[in-house]
Amino acid sequence: MNIINFLRNAFAGRKLATVGFIWLCFILLAAIFAPLIAPFDPLEIDPVGRLAEPGLPNLFGTDHFGRDTFSRAIYGARMTVIIGVGSVVVALVCGGLIGMLSAYFTRLGHFLMRGVDVLMAFPALLMALVLITLLERSVFNTILVIGIVYATTTARILYGMTLKLKGEVFVDAAVCSGAGHSSILFRHILPNLVSPLLVQASFIFAFAQLQAAALDFLGLGLPPEVPSWGNMLSEERIYVTRAPWLLIYPGLLIVLSVFSMNLVGDALRDSIDPRFKDDIAGV
Amino acid sequence: MLAYTAKRLLTLIPTLLAATILVFLFVHLIPGDPAAILLGDTATPEEVAQLSAELGFDRPLWIQYFLWLGNVLQGDLGTSIFFREPVTAVIGSGAETSILLASMTMVWIIILGLPIGVLSATKHGTWIDQITSSGAMLAASVPTFWLGLYLIMIFSVTLGWFPSSGFPSLSDEGGITNLRYLILPSLTLAAPNAALIVRLVRASMLDVAREDHVRTARAKGLHPARVAIKHVFRNALIAVAAAFGFTFAALISEAVVTETVFSLPGIGRLVVQSILRRDYPVIQGVILVIVVLYMVINLLVDLAYARLDPRVSLK
Amino acid sequence: MALLEVENLHIAVGSGGKLLPVVQGVSFCVDENETLGIVGESGCGKSLTSLAIMGLLGDSTVRITGGSIRFDGMDLLTLSAPERRAIMGNRMAMIFQEPMTSLNPVYRIGDQIAESIRQHQQISRSAARDRAVELLTLVRIPNPSERVDSFPHQMSGGQRQRVMIAMALSCDPKLLIADEPTTALDVTVQKEVLELMADLQDRMGTAIVLISHDLGVIAETCDKVAVMYRGKIAEAAATADLFAELAHPYTRGLLNSIPVVDRDVEWLEAIPGRVPTLEETLTGCAFHPRCALATDFCASRAPETSQFKPNHSVQCHFAGGSTT
Ligand SMILES: Nc1ncnc2c1ncn2[C@@H]1O[C@H](COP(=O)(O)OP(=O)(O)O)[C@@H](O)[C@H]1O
Ligand SMILES: [Mg+2]
Repeated sequence: MNIINFLRNAFAGRKLATVGFIWLCFILLAAIFAPLIAPFDPLEIDPVGRLAEPGLPNLFGTDHFGRDTFSRAIYGARMTVIIGVGSVVVALVCGGLIGMLSAYFTRLGHFLMRGVDVLMAFPALLMALVLITLLERSVFNTILVIGIVYATTTARILYGMTLKLKGEVFVDAAVCSGAGHSSILFRHILPNLVSPLLVQASFIFAFAQLQAAALDFLGLGLPPEVPSWGNMLSEERIYVTRAPWLLIYPGLLIVLSVFSMNLVGDALRDSIDPRFKDDIAGV
Repeated sequence: MLAYTAKRLLTLIPTLLAATILVFLFVHLIPGDPAAILLGDTATPEEVAQLSAELGFDRPLWIQYFLWLGNVLQGDLGTSIFFREPVTAVIGSGAETSILLASMTMVWIIILGLPIGVLSATKHGTWIDQITSSGAMLAASVPTFWLGLYLIMIFSVTLGWFPSSGFPSLSDEGGITNLRYLILPSLTLAAPNAALIVRLVRASMLDVAREDHVRTARAKGLHPARVAIKHVFRNALIAVAAAFGFTFAALISEAVVTETVFSLPGIGRLVVQSILRRDYPVIQGVILVIVVLYMVINLLVDLAYARLDPRVSLK
Repeated sequence: MALLEVENLHIAVGSGGKLLPVVQGVSFCVDENETLGIVGESGCGKSLTSLAIMGLLGDSTVRITGGSIRFDGMDLLTLSAPERRAIMGNRMAMIFQEPMTSLNPVYRIGDQIAESIRQHQQISRSAARDRAVELLTLVRIPNPSERVDSFPHQMSGGQRQRVMIAMALSCDPKLLIADEPTTALDVTVQKEVLELMADLQDRMGTAIVLISHDLGVIAETCDKVAVMYRGKIAEAAATADLFAELAHPYTRGLLNSIPVVDRDVEWLEAIPGRVPTLEETLTGCAFHPRCALATDFCASRAPETSQFKPNHSVQCHFAGGSTT
């Protein structure tokens, strides 16, 4: 109920953000029901029907293996959601725990946050590349790498927010009433951070999409056969002059989804507690 | 100022050391004999044994670290497996491209990002603001390689205005005009970053515009444009300057994608190719160089920050 | 004709598509060399009135919806923006309630004063700087030739307010509007700043509109007083006449209130309740819910402005009637 009100307030009078939100809902539906929506098997190779133009039966045409681009795009939505949600979870859980614990237990925090500072000396994409070098190309590893990259930022942000809340009266009250550390952290402090976390999560989701697409493009992201929008662009880019649609559809899908996520994050940001607004790292 | 710089340099050292430890450990995290990893598949057992002794791989890890650090401080980053050349030379050959690309990108970011951000903020609430600020958000949502591919298709393939790939050195034939090779790449790299600067300038200016001292400035009878620039924008610049530093530093690693799209012989493409070639000494060297650069640039930004904001004490 | 004549001024605030009236039919005038005090609790519309005179309401949601403001023979509300700016900071200047934040933190105070001078006078940089030092001396900043190069954060609140005064006086204004200039300052500093203003007025003949929520301050410094309550002038008279017989129950309440140092609680309550917010709609006299004299009549009909004594006007059905 609370969340619904929060969302309703955030989107009131924001047409573009509302459209973005609806678009994301479509992406989510496409991801869930991909096998029902996709007319073809996204992995099925058809040497005869290579580089077919958009039309029927291949709405978005076919790629150089003769795979149906539309079906791959639908399954790509699935990868988008998996990568996005996965990275957000990794980033928020790792970064969130580090940040909150650091702010709460100051001595441990001093140590941990210095570590975070060191990691932040590695630019995001470089860090992802370094980690990828050590790992196999797989969906799980891509999620892990992107999640870890954004965990550092998240830790910083949550550290700041928790510090602000720690000085509040209600925390003192909880301490006085004999609440334990975990109860104070997770029952008293965390609930106040839910909406700023939601905002941060939407921006991380958007960043993660761009990072994942960049890794795919460099040939260091998902395994090449996985139908993700980034892979579709990366695999087909040499055919662009013969089959321009191969670049248009997946590219537009990425842009629209990232843009929508940013719009949603921007709308949500304006309706959270103004104290936390400056902490958020977003667009 | 000097004392402040010295102090900031001192605080940088622990972070720098910690970062070098991570970079050092990188080679040890890869499964296998580190000496063999550093020499590549074609090395003979004798060569492996020799390097192993040289870098002390039979000794405790911390001694190995200091041996390595000693080499690094003397400018020895090892030898590239692929090029059979010192890593410093390999990195050096990509430096010109990378520095020029980052600088040109920065120029775009400044001449696009600042004015559009100021426009957006001063026209706050109008359709101009809506178009520029949503447009900036859209630009920040475009994958750079996709943008780059389309710029190539339009401006190189179709219109033939700019070359589509490569970058001959400024010292080669063509001289300064070779910079045209970098126009599309720098625009590509600038687009999302300029967009972020637009958003930031706008947000900071709107914040500053609400401050009391801006009302004082208006009460002097100043022209609104003067208030916007000398008072609102000038104060917003404090927040924007910090972002500029991060942006410039991050460009060096973000250039990885752009340099790949445009086949530029820069450090970014070197990273990717070295990863694909498993040329670990080069990877290690480049990471080290980029991280140090990133820290130094951020230090410079801190110092610039202190100049922009007199409230920051320089003592 | 008076220097400043505000007539039947109406100001409204846009909120959710509606216009809520904030200032409703305020009139007063100020002559050269005269000090008008405007007094009232927080939220009565004093600041909006002064910003309207100054021309600083700008493009926000607040709008002047009626009335006229005449200054030095000009109808300010019909002037173009450039004409208006030529007056602002020049013949009419303003100082604000928040000395700590009213100066730009990134410029030296000398430059900020000089900016105001050079905006309205054709003089060189160095001449403007000399003038800034002169002004700092005038407002009794110690060591002015050095302090001119200070940044605002290097000064105390009282000093910053002096700098604001110096800046306001930089072009010898005919009218100075001071919106609660001492509210944010310590009591001792308060006194010094008020004395400084009175002193400067004697020397330069500036007209002053002094806004305060402290009737004590007003009594000491002003030639005449307008008491504001929820966007209207409840009572207005020359200071001596007003204190000779307080006609409005609100004014009597203000006099009985004792300002306390702690700014969170501005008043030791002598008037029960608080100023109704803009959203609350009221029939009758806006003060009736808090008034000891209020009757059903007060709740149903708003009082018109009436003459209580010659040159002493009041808006109350029971003007002069005594409480307790
Ligand atoms: N920019 C604004 N937007 C909306 N409401 C405002 C604005 N400025 C003032 N108000 C409202 O107008 C009323 C009068 O404000 P103000 O003139 O500042 O009172 P005072 O100076 O007497 O304390 C208050 O209720 C205040 O909330
Ligand atoms: Mg006020």
